Amino acid sequence: MRYLNRRHFLGAGLLLGATSLLGKETPSKPIAIPQEFTTPIIAFPEKKPMVTISDRPPLLKSSKGRDIFTQAITPNDEFFVRWHLPDIPTHIDLNEFRLEVKGSVNTPLSLSVDDLKSKFEPAEITAVLQCGGNSRKYYAVTGQATHGVQWDHGAMGCAVWKGVRLKDILNRAGVKESASWVGLNGLEKPAMEETPDFFREMEIKEALEDQIIVAYSMNGEDLPYLNGFPIRLVIPGHFSDSWVKMLSEIMVMDTYRTSFFMDVAYTVPDNDCECVVSGSDFEYKRKPIAAMKVKSVIGYPSSNTVIKKSSKVKIAGVAFDQGKGIKEVMISLDGGKSWSAAKLGQDYGKFAFRPWSFEWETKTKGNFTIMARAINRIGNIQPLADEIGWNAGGYQYNAVDSVNVKIV
Amino acid sequence: MKKLLILSAFLAATAFAQVDKPIEMPYVDYPMVQGDHDEVAQQYCLICHSWGYILNQGKKSRPYWTGTVQKMVNEFKAPIGKEDQQTIINYLVKHYGYEATSGQGH
Repeated sequence: MRYLNRRHFLGAGLLLGATSLLGKETPSKPIAIPQEFTTPIIAFPEKKPMVTISDRPPLLKSSKGRDIFTQAITPNDEFFVRWHLPDIPTHIDLNEFRLEVKGSVNTPLSLSVDDLKSKFEPAEITAVLQCGGNSRKYYAVTGQATHGVQWDHGAMGCAVWKGVRLKDILNRAGVKESASWVGLNGLEKPAMEETPDFFREMEIKEALEDQIIVAYSMNGEDLPYLNGFPIRLVIPGHFSDSWVKMLSEIMVMDTYRTSFFMDVAYTVPDNDCECVVSGSDFEYKRKPIAAMKVKSVIGYPSSNTVIKKSSKVKIAGVAFDQGKGIKEVMISLDGGKSWSAAKLGQDYGKFAFRPWSFEWETKTKGNFTIMARAINRIGNIQPLADEIGWNAGGYQYNAVDSVNVKIV
Repeated sequence: MKKLLILSAFLAATAFAQVDKPIEMPYVDYPMVQGDHDEVAQQYCLICHSWGYILNQGKKSRPYWTGTVQKMVNEFKAPIGKEDQQTIINYLVKHYGYEATSGQGH
């Protein structure tokens, strides 16, 4: 397997010669005046040109902005990308690639992609993939800016995933009575050995749930490399941090293994609101983020759109939750004073984007704030922007979405 | 003077995942403000991630950048000596942050 090694030479030089290379002389370069930085838009392999937040590890989002959320299924070549470690295989030979199933099992397995396709019953599910930090920039609108890359709504998408049920794989291997956790690892690797792997864990009882699949197909095609070719875990209803890409190892374990990416990263305060009530976030006991919270995003129009008076505007977007299903999406055209029901579109399943639309005949000139608010079938409703509980990591943002438009 | 944003995009020849040859990833030379020992930040931070990580976080406080550099050392095991940690923190605060010390910065 080949890895991205471009900057390894920098690292190696650094490790060997740090003291002699650095800090000896003051460079005579002029001091730069910081200018506004515009994130470049670049076409990565198998992708249309996308907003490139980082190239290494790759962090990409659609260049269409909100408009990508006017459709229920997100195309593969515009699906967002977010890796954690810099060394990612740039080529996988399917003759060599194996998914290893080991640990507390009766029969360890070594499965090729062909084995997965031919020796197991296929399962298909349409599900939303959303980064835990999606939309975190909006915490700064009503509160303090959070840690991390300031994602707008771009770190989510919805696809039809096809693969093998994780429970079928685990049952084929035969999980021992003593087993209580399943560890998951993929082929992305850190630049230095000492850096922790992107190792994820879930309780065995969760791993045996029906809807979790090891996917080899996304929207009817092979997964793009940057979305985890050849296989990735799909955990419908859960934030994407445990949807391990290029999944290569399933380790059945008797005890929980402490790890940075489970115990420190992607965690929130372990209280009812999963938020900071007072003091610092870092004083709270932690819990990993898991089930997603009910959310709707306006796909059209985007903020600052100028619309002619007496137009028929089709306000459109998507809504989703942790898998209970969307009951209703309410639209306000007056900044939240009054609300009307949007029309729900095709139902792709309880874990999918539920498209919605709202016909608006613009009768008066002026500035309008459009808001969308979803409620699910168990009565979870999105908080207003000034009601949402805050956490330093900026995770789980799901406040009512809004855009400002001008009618002329 | 800023470094130019140099994009050398090598596009993959095929649109399908099962490619015979390795995919070729574009390389983005994200601009870094020069001076104040930017070379220290460059040589350590870029071992694991692009400068895009910094540019897309927005301006942050001194406690925030201090905590972030400490996280890189303590959790991700970045091999940065104490003196160089301080150099990087000062560089980040000066060019990508501000001095405030209160609140939830970290």
